[in-house]
Amino acid sequence: MEKYDVAIIGGGSAGLAALKQLSTLGKQAVLLEAGKKVGVKNISGGILYSKKPNKGRVYNVEDIYGQNFVNEAPLQRKITKYLLHATSKDKVFSMDLTAAHEYQSNFGYSVLMNDLNAWFAQSADESAQKCGGGIVPGVHVNNISWDDEKERTIIQTDELDEFQVKAVIAADGVNSEVAQITRARPKFSAVQLYQGVKAIVKLPEDIINETFAIGADDGEAHLFAGDITLNHLGGGFLYTNRDTLSVGAVYHFDSLLDSPIEPNTLLDALLKNPMITELIKDEVPVRGKIDKTLEKEKQMQIRFAVTKLIKTWYEIRDVYLSSSRRKELIKTGKFNSEDEIKSKLSETREKMSSQYGIQFKTDYVEDEYGAKLIPDGKRCRMKKPYHKNVLFVGDAAGRGVFVGPRIEGLNVGIDDGVRAANAIARALEKNNFSQGYLGEYYTKSIEESPYTKDMKEIDKEYLKIFIDATKDVPKDILSAKHSLVLKLMSSGAIRSMAAKFVNVLGYERLLPVIESEESYVKVPTELAERSGKTISSSYTPSIPLLADRIAKLNYNDDKVSHIKVLNPNNDFMKKLVMLCPTKCYSEENGQVTIQHEGCIECGTCSEQTDWKHPRGEKGINYRYG
Amino acid sequence: MTEENYRHVYVVIEHIDGKLLPVSLEMLGEARRLFDDFNARYSSNEKIVAVILGNNIKDFSKELIEYGADAVVCADHPELKDLRNTIHTKVISQIALDKEIASRIEPDYAKEFKKPRYIFFAADSIGRHLSSTVLVELESGLASDINKLVIHDMTVTHQIKTEGKPTLFKKTLEMYRPDFSGFLWTTILCLNNTTPSIKREYYPQGCSIIPGVFEPIKPDPKRSGEIIFYEPKIDENDLKVKVLSHKIVKSEVDFEIRKAVVSFGRGIKDAPDENIKLVVELAKQLDAEIGISLPISKKLLPASQAISSTYMIPARVIGTSGSKISPMLYVAIGISGAMQHIAGMQDSEFVVAINPDENSPIKNECDIFINGRMEDVIPLLVEELKKQQQVVQAG
Amino acid sequence: MEPLNLAVIVKLEPDFSEGNVSYKPDGTLNRNETKSTLGPHSGIAAKAAFYAKVKYGAKISVCSMGPPWADIALQQAQQTCDADVLHLYSDRIFAGADTLATAETLKTGIEKMQGKMDIVFSGHRASDGETGQTGPQTAWKLGFTFIGNVISYDVNLEKRTVVAKCLLTLNGVPNVIEEIEAPLPVFLTIDPSYKSNFTTVSQRIAFEKYQKEAYERARNFKQSLKVFNIDELGVDKTLVGLAGSPTIVYQVERIPKGKATRQAEVFDGSNSEHIRKVVAKMREALSAMVIK
Repeated sequence: MEKYDVAIIGGGSAGLAALKQLSTLGKQAVLLEAGKKVGVKNISGGILYSKKPNKGRVYNVEDIYGQNFVNEAPLQRKITKYLLHATSKDKVFSMDLTAAHEYQSNFGYSVLMNDLNAWFAQSADESAQKCGGGIVPGVHVNNISWDDEKERTIIQTDELDEFQVKAVIAADGVNSEVAQITRARPKFSAVQLYQGVKAIVKLPEDIINETFAIGADDGEAHLFAGDITLNHLGGGFLYTNRDTLSVGAVYHFDSLLDSPIEPNTLLDALLKNPMITELIKDEVPVRGKIDKTLEKEKQMQIRFAVTKLIKTWYEIRDVYLSSSRRKELIKTGKFNSEDEIKSKLSETREKMSSQYGIQFKTDYVEDEYGAKLIPDGKRCRMKKPYHKNVLFVGDAAGRGVFVGPRIEGLNVGIDDGVRAANAIARALEKNNFSQGYLGEYYTKSIEESPYTKDMKEIDKEYLKIFIDATKDVPKDILSAKHSLVLKLMSSGAIRSMAAKFVNVLGYERLLPVIESEESYVKVPTELAERSGKTISSSYTPSIPLLADRIAKLNYNDDKVSHIKVLNPNNDFMKKLVMLCPTKCYSEENGQVTIQHEGCIECGTCSEQTDWKHPRGEKGINYRYG
Repeated sequence: MTEENYRHVYVVIEHIDGKLLPVSLEMLGEARRLFDDFNARYSSNEKIVAVILGNNIKDFSKELIEYGADAVVCADHPELKDLRNTIHTKVISQIALDKEIASRIEPDYAKEFKKPRYIFFAADSIGRHLSSTVLVELESGLASDINKLVIHDMTVTHQIKTEGKPTLFKKTLEMYRPDFSGFLWTTILCLNNTTPSIKREYYPQGCSIIPGVFEPIKPDPKRSGEIIFYEPKIDENDLKVKVLSHKIVKSEVDFEIRKAVVSFGRGIKDAPDENIKLVVELAKQLDAEIGISLPISKKLLPASQAISSTYMIPARVIGTSGSKISPMLYVAIGISGAMQHIAGMQDSEFVVAINPDENSPIKNECDIFINGRMEDVIPLLVEELKKQQQVVQAG
Repeated sequence: MEPLNLAVIVKLEPDFSEGNVSYKPDGTLNRNETKSTLGPHSGIAAKAAFYAKVKYGAKISVCSMGPPWADIALQQAQQTCDADVLHLYSDRIFAGADTLATAETLKTGIEKMQGKMDIVFSGHRASDGETGQTGPQTAWKLGFTFIGNVISYDVNLEKRTVVAKCLLTLNGVPNVIEEIEAPLPVFLTIDPSYKSNFTTVSQRIAFEKYQKEAYERARNFKQSLKVFNIDELGVDKTLVGLAGSPTIVYQVERIPKGKATRQAEVFDGSNSEHIRKVVAKMREALSAMVIK
């Protein structure tokens, strides 16, 4: 049997940070990733933060990957403006939360997980190989067993011979199978989770700059509450990437169970909001109808020719509307000048309309649909994030900071990964993997993390900044409960005392007040109605049907279903017919059945199913994530 | 060299696990049709020579003659039990060049015989490779994956082959190969060398034939033919290659081997057991494999255990989450025609749908739409099929 | 034990995917407007060679006969299998070759490669017309044992033998899988369903390592590339190109078929005359000639 020092299960940003850190410390570690490549199963909102807490320290990306990180990594745009919009049908009231976003922060960049994790992986793998380890993609771990006598921990996978390790880092995400195998924690329940759904909207770089009136390197984050929630607890977001937008919705999963609604409907509500409709606006070619009476062969030729032209047009246009790519292609000699690109573009466009009747209209283009469960660290972080010599990090440990508009997961997982790596490196040196020496040490380190503190209590300084940002909100909109809290918090003198008082009450009692229909839906909607600006949209976006969204995704379907329905009569499962983001469930004669093809592995159904990730290389392959 | 040096068509027969492959008989059938015409046109008496290699294969000889062979060359040897490319290539080549065999096939031209005129192989996993290596050994040309054959005297002008001069090539085999797009036919000719300085003779004109294209002739037990046993010369060194195992991949459902597929969907719901039995009966008449639509595999409809475990299984699903098939005949029974099903069957050559609802989407995807309930329509179809079958047999 | 010496034969082919392919008005492929790429089956052959490199250690040479711009096929193959050497046989005289003449060129090239060759790999077939003859014909000219339809294989370095699993797809009978053992040297053509069976973590780590190396090498592929014209290759001129080809493409014509989209003819299921017609049509469909 082969032997390695450490196995890291899961190649998300937390697992990769652990691998990088262990390798930097000269320790041998193997990272196993179920996806065909690192990154293909990862999806996030996503903003990646680097933080500088006043008290204590956190491990940031640049601490692990080098100070040159922001110049080298495939980051999208630096978020320089952070806004919260209260919406009604046609009005928007905006609040600038940039100060809150910048609170104790080095930077926040919008990111796309597939590219970013691939970059992390390259760096981590390079270091790991020097220590005799590395990244092994396409491998799905199905069991971990312990031979206490021989002090062996054995990793079993669907694809490879079993092998032996001294310690394990479980970085396998919110639906952690390692947590199930080790029984380290129960599955997360609805009240501990958010369901997030996202679309990547394609929009050329220059058009983003123009629409948002920002520089080529600047970016914006927009949050939405009110009417777009369709009366559910949660809200929407829109982040600018380099030449795409991430548009998504995040909802308390228990509120979705209370009144089930299709996730894509919530996404659509966002896209239909006139403010967002205007932000995603682009010029889009529309194929003419092919004459069905023509010979099949002729029809096929036309279809192929049209596809090729549209593809070419997009390629040239994406270059033309991106200053950096324009320059690059002129430099490499592909084009002589900007004018040449421009004339090539109009030439193609002319051919499209004159030869094939392709028209152009105002619309938007969606490139990728995705969904994910998000663990709410306030409610579900593992108090002891270990089992024997297995340490849990990031989503797998139920860790993330979600306080009002503060939404942080990636940086928390990365901090965890480094802490786990440090704890294991220390254990390797003493060859002591006992609970006391490894597990408890790691728990202590995690407890010391400022992020953990943020999951436990309210930071009054943050709250002040937040409240200052909302000073224009007419106070009479708020209910008695809310205005009391707000009043206490607004006054400098008693804020400190009030925060203490609130923290004595604890998050459990306070959260129902803050995270209520009142805050997510009613107040924002009324606010927009009373004080908002009217916004109208200049076109009706053609929002794709769910079937089209799914058809656009790239799967490698496993013939064997990775999910088994435990009880087809169960009420939870019946709601899943609605709540599964890719409609994998259907109900007939009171029985719920699954069609696993098309599953994007979000785990929304995990609570009441026998849920595993598909075997290595199988399942969803996100392009953006 | 004269044209009498090259005679007959040699057909390399394939068999596996004690059975002749259908393509073997199809090749003999096409050779028969071509040569009946050829011999009449050219007033000649060239033969169809079936070449068969194996161990304990003598019994096939009679069958091959019944299906059109004039002579069977049978290399029966324990070392030919397994198919080993090197050994088989050498033995087939030995047979093709053997004058002794040629003299038994046709004593008249025994002296002149050099090589076969044409040689046919099957375009399958065996014949595609065997044809390639045999034709290198015989130093001649090969066209693969052929689905139409014509023999002509042709005048060809080719810049290099004939140095631009019109040249007559007698009894040339025009080999038609459908190209990758499926829309075009490429005609390939194997033309004999006309350059005197090069000492090569491009015979036999070789091809491999796509299985399932040609019809075998009706077997005639009264046909007679020469059976020639050939003792192969096997090189000791070639025996180092060994076939260690030979496993038949059993699949409960195989859409590939049938020309027709009959599928059923939720339309069976009123009486699943009885209706599935009707479908099975129709499939039997058409020699068809049975498929289902996706919902059926979810076992939502009550059916007996025996029926359900045989027919309502995922392996039979046609569609994006099942098999993608292209049979010559597809019969969709009680299937509405959801996109996911259509994607699996739309490449079928001819589609018949039976459905009581003329508005169901399947109507746009079929060649014949039979308006009616399966319970009523299938028994009529079965009866009519039996009737028309009898007519053919009687005729 | 000597490390393995491997060669892979690859081919530049049109990219038939929607968005890249272009047709002329007469329906034939517009080669000028269609992007060219490493043939998918060639890619699988390269993948199979890479397996031996990862598992046993090997030197890999990739070769192709084609126009000067076929070097991109070699580059793509190098990225797949981390090849050490790339050979392109490119000369006007090679053009128009049938498979026999192509095999002669490739054979000569492989014999010119350094060291005794242990395994030569080629794809199942090309997607633009070549129907899988070139591989076995080259094998026969080299005098190597030919094994086709390979879905997986392993090498015994001590005995210097190969054991290959082969999938036989035959019409009218179930598929067969055979396991064939042969002494080196062998020539393998790789089935589309080929799988590399890595079984240990260390093999997979080596795989990732070599893949990175391959990526780097392919970025600078010209450093590994050698282009041979007919004289440099030193092949008999009468055996290659059109002169060495027994077969010619005589003509290309349309298959008389051209069915438009389906237009359903509606029949009444209770009318016996209708049923008779339907059955006749079904029987006709079954006896029609297949063009696949």
